[in-house]
Amino acid sequence: MVAAPHRGVSFSRVLAITANTLTELTRLKVFYVLLVFALLLIGSSIFMAQFTFQQEFQILKDISLGAMSIFTSLLAIIATARLIPQDIEDRTIYTILAKPVPRFEYLLGKIGGVLLLLAISTVVMSAGFLAVLYIREQSVLHMTLRQMSSAPPEQVDDALRAVRSSGLNLDLFPGIIIIYLKACLLAALTLFVSTFATTNIFTIVVMAFIYFIGHLQATAREYWLQEHSSGWITHLFLAIVALLFPDLQAFNLVDDIVAGTAISLGVFLKTAVLGAFYTTIYTLLAVFVFYGKEL
Amino acid sequence: MTDPAIAVRGLTKIFPVPLHRQSIVAVRDLDLRIEPGEVYGLLGPNGSGKSTTLKIILGLVSPTRGCTEIFGRDSRLVKSREAVGFLPENPYFYKYLSGEETLRFFGRLCGLGGAGLRNRMDELLALVGLTNARKRRLGTYSKGMLQRIGLAQALIHHPRLVVLDEPTAGVDPAGSREIRDLILDLKRRGITVLLSSHLLTQAQEICDRVGILADGVLVREGRLQELIAIENQTELIVADASSHLIEEIESLINRSNAKLIERRKSTTTLERLFLDATTDRREP
Repeated sequence: MVAAPHRGVSFSRVLAITANTLTELTRLKVFYVLLVFALLLIGSSIFMAQFTFQQEFQILKDISLGAMSIFTSLLAIIATARLIPQDIEDRTIYTILAKPVPRFEYLLGKIGGVLLLLAISTVVMSAGFLAVLYIREQSVLHMTLRQMSSAPPEQVDDALRAVRSSGLNLDLFPGIIIIYLKACLLAALTLFVSTFATTNIFTIVVMAFIYFIGHLQATAREYWLQEHSSGWITHLFLAIVALLFPDLQAFNLVDDIVAGTAISLGVFLKTAVLGAFYTTIYTLLAVFVFYGKEL
Repeated sequence: MTDPAIAVRGLTKIFPVPLHRQSIVAVRDLDLRIEPGEVYGLLGPNGSGKSTTLKIILGLVSPTRGCTEIFGRDSRLVKSREAVGFLPENPYFYKYLSGEETLRFFGRLCGLGGAGLRNRMDELLALVGLTNARKRRLGTYSKGMLQRIGLAQALIHHPRLVVLDEPTAGVDPAGSREIRDLILDLKRRGITVLLSSHLLTQAQEICDRVGILADGVLVREGRLQELIAIENQTELIVADASSHLIEEIESLINRSNAKLIERRKSTTTLERLFLDATTDRREP
């Protein structure tokens, strides 16, 4: 049997690299340590019974969503940073690219594996978090029913509605999706940095800087615009800063969710599109740099 | 007229050194032409430009000047790699994959799948003698086994050209001989082989033609037998000759204008001795 004729873009080739990258990443010990850390954090929050149920649910959501955000961000950076340098060090990249595999397919396969890993991690952590929240909510509902057994039905209904509104609700899901998109953005940016970095340590250090600047830049921008005139040069400068250091604070919807404020569809879509846009741009930049890279 | 398997014309590669004015010339004005079916050895000491030349031929590194073609196709085009299998020096591959998973992965990269890929995997695992180790992870493979699985992945898509960078580096003599036999088998099947090596004895055993690189320049090139032949000398190897016969031969030589340079007992090679002593003890 002879190999199929070469096609410009092959989904099958990308999928082969994606599947292999996912296998590679699930064998990382750091992945399991971080997963255990996140699960422990989520699990520990169920022992906060001394608070009122509103406080308890708030803390549970705050800790769990915060842990998910940090964990997925860390995983995105650490997992992506090692992919290309490791393949170069082990020379596996030569064997792959000496086959009829275009460089962009190699990168798409690699980032695909990371995004799949992040999706699985987010789903696993969300399932754990939502299960804990549901169990606590049911427990509080039963307790409320017991305590208000002699109260008028309207009061009981009001109390149960209050418990349900502060417990498990659909407003959590847009927040979880945005946490995932933020991790995707960070993975794509890490991939871009790793295309010109020589070691994965360098990539991780650069990404740590970008992570902190990304969270601070919105505040800094507001301050700058208040203090300085807002001419086109300022706007151009700020646009460049925004491209190099994405506004990660824009992806922080956890505070609103914890406060019980529903995320509007407009805000959700705007943030989701921003996340997808950044992820695409950074992946394209990574492809551009990688095409000129001497291996 | 058929296209050469590899054509290299005026190839120069200069690596700039960051923060320095000087740069490193890895390959200088190299011309090569390798015909289909040949086994060509690119020889030279470490740092002579062999690996850089191979990487340029494979499109992994871009040339500063000149061009390279594989069966008439510019080797910078991804399509040219349909015809090529490559085994890099000291390959590691993915340690967490087994032998057959490795072949499946590389097969899928070449557009293979289904029963065709399974049959090809069986065939190649048998060819490189790893059928019994097909389920083992590569992390448990010896150096020789890694080279053999590397050769198998290079052949997965029936390439017409196989490029081998130091195929026996770090492999013990028995493993080295197995790889040599596999290369000779490729030659019998009509596959063109380009190999780089600094192990001259081995290159001598398998190459039809060789090129010698030094400091990025091709200093010698040609058919091996022509390059190493000493025009005015002849060797006679005689078995079971009596001392009387040897004396007669010597006296004939002395009576003529010829000169006897050396008379010695034939010896086996150290490799042969090593293999004879260790073959029966080797584990499968």
